[in-house]
Amino acid sequence: MTDAFLIALGGVTEPYTLALMALATFAGIVAAAIPGFTITMAIVLTLPLTFAMPPMQGIAVMLSVYVGGLSGGLFSAALLGIPGTPSAVATTFDAFPMARKGQPGRALSLGLFASFVGSLISIVILIVAAPPLALLAVKLGPWEYFALIVFALTIIASLVGDSIIRGLIAGLVGIAIATIGPDPLMARERFTFGYDLLTAGIPFLVVLIGMYAMSQLLSELEPSASSEKAASSALVSGDMRPHLWEVVKSTMMKPFNIVRSSLLGVFIGAVPGAGSSISNLVAYDQAKRASKHPETFGQGEPQGVVASEAGNSSTVGGSLIPLISLGIPGSPADAVLMAAIMVHGISVGPRLILDHPDLVYSMFIAMAVASVFMLVIGVIMMRAFMRLLNVPKYIVVPVVLACCAIGTYTLNNRVSDLYLLAAIGTFGYLMKKLDYPLAPLVLGVVLGPIAETNLRRAFQTSADWTLFFTRPISALLLALAVLSVAYSIYGYIRHRRLVAERTQAQARAFQDGASQE
Amino acid sequence: MKRKTPDAALLPTLQLVSYVVLAMGAVFMAIRAGALPASRWEPMSAGTFPQLIFSSIAVLCVVAIIFELAKHGLPVTTLKTAWQRLMSLKRVLVNLGLFVFYMVLMPWAGFIAATFGYLLAAQLYLAPRKPLSLLIALGVALLFSFGPYYLFADVFSIYLPRPRW
Repeated sequence: MTDAFLIALGGVTEPYTLALMALATFAGIVAAAIPGFTITMAIVLTLPLTFAMPPMQGIAVMLSVYVGGLSGGLFSAALLGIPGTPSAVATTFDAFPMARKGQPGRALSLGLFASFVGSLISIVILIVAAPPLALLAVKLGPWEYFALIVFALTIIASLVGDSIIRGLIAGLVGIAIATIGPDPLMARERFTFGYDLLTAGIPFLVVLIGMYAMSQLLSELEPSASSEKAASSALVSGDMRPHLWEVVKSTMMKPFNIVRSSLLGVFIGAVPGAGSSISNLVAYDQAKRASKHPETFGQGEPQGVVASEAGNSSTVGGSLIPLISLGIPGSPADAVLMAAIMVHGISVGPRLILDHPDLVYSMFIAMAVASVFMLVIGVIMMRAFMRLLNVPKYIVVPVVLACCAIGTYTLNNRVSDLYLLAAIGTFGYLMKKLDYPLAPLVLGVVLGPIAETNLRRAFQTSADWTLFFTRPISALLLALAVLSVAYSIYGYIRHRRLVAERTQAQARAFQDGASQE
Repeated sequence: MKRKTPDAALLPTLQLVSYVVLAMGAVFMAIRAGALPASRWEPMSAGTFPQLIFSSIAVLCVVAIIFELAKHGLPVTTLKTAWQRLMSLKRVLVNLGLFVFYMVLMPWAGFIAATFGYLLAAQLYLAPRKPLSLLIALGVALLFSFGPYYLFADVFSIYLPRPRW
């Protein structure tokens, strides 16, 4: 174990790797700071650049983009009032008012420091939680694995989007897309309809690039209020000095908020489907509820910035727990990381930590190093980021679309993947416009083949289907899946009722007001 | 969701259409999956799992249609509304068209020429009509067509498509 740790430490701290990681962290911050450019897109576009690198270096670079990206949304949130990524929505509530009050430097420093502490806390929990969970997971049979995937899919479908049923349909469509091409056990050709294009199946990364990057970029071209706001908003002015020491002191004097937000972020990150886009809002909400002066939230309250940023950055460690210990990606960004590991010929699953401990340790170390880079680069380059945020969309969108094409082609050096990209991107945009959540679809593509493999293996071992319900862990996971769906339906109905009540109350108040006049 | 106007009813109408299309596609695929040959070595054939998935999609779509109609009734929109909404997405559609053309063109024209053409066309279409924008568009198109080609070829030994002419 010590040998593996030392190998990992040596690999990550090599000067060339460190330089690449610093560059990747910077790229991650810049990418996430540009509104419309998500962290997943940044990681997807980094992937082809890591093909030529050794696995350890490649993973370290991609994790740096991930860690940098989680704090990058802060810049556009604080300086433009637009969350660069969905994970920075709650940051906007207080960081932007704070910056408008003439303290942009302090708002950014608070966010960066909270992100740094959040990342570190999540890494510690990852190190503690992942290995024992992996040791347990090795003992699971195909029945338990299949039940686990079913559970993961129900959580994904229920947590993402407004409609449970569209979430479930999207997840199943993802699994259906993954069934095209050779079947995972016997390699028998399925649903190719005689087209060579489909013989090898639809590569997962092509689906991910098409669904996430392309559809998101095309959405950015739609006429919207936020784009006009971005074009017309004047840059905030004021004190751009970081005041780092003061920020550290004030945050650490009230450590409860940052620790609670980080723990919430880790927990939400570990649940498949729930990610930083949810954790920042939950952490912010909890900070507001716990505060003695909740009325200051939304008007430039430092604790609000701390809660949101610690909440979103700490999801990175949490979401790596199921990836490292079970081989299940918790979010599309983790799915790309999983693909990156697999591209280097390493299979992801509970045996990853047993067969490649050096790689897993390098992930832990790389995350810690990237967190330090994120803080340093963020503080040093605060002023420069203000300029970068003004790159117009007419440059960003076509350039990133061209980068999507490069990423797709370099994956397998196959021209046919380009056609698939165009088709899937169009399909993804259509799904998005019809309000189908894309995250369940993408995760369905990843989890589908794992589910099929384990289901068929289970039946190869024994034709008795009752084993799914009589083996304790499998039964427990399936029961949890049922509970998860039931809870989502209950939550959905409650939400609808609340919205209806609120609308009625507003209508009543409006009528009262009109009658008084 | 309020559906009193044709505009508000457009999305639910399209969602209903999507359920119908997905359900029909799923039924077709489930039948195709059932036709895949059974395996001698395992109780589940290569078609069983996809059949299960496609059947579930079809069932869910039918449930969605029933729920939608029972709750809100048949949404009523007009073709004119749909056309107006489509026209409001002109920038997206033109860009999508350009991108699809770029993908089709790349294997024949090669990465550099296709990317240069696509980037220039897309930027010129989106950018405000100013001489400076043209200059910037030209610079960006040159940088991002030649740059990645030589970066991948010289640093990573990965060769992006070359022209076939």
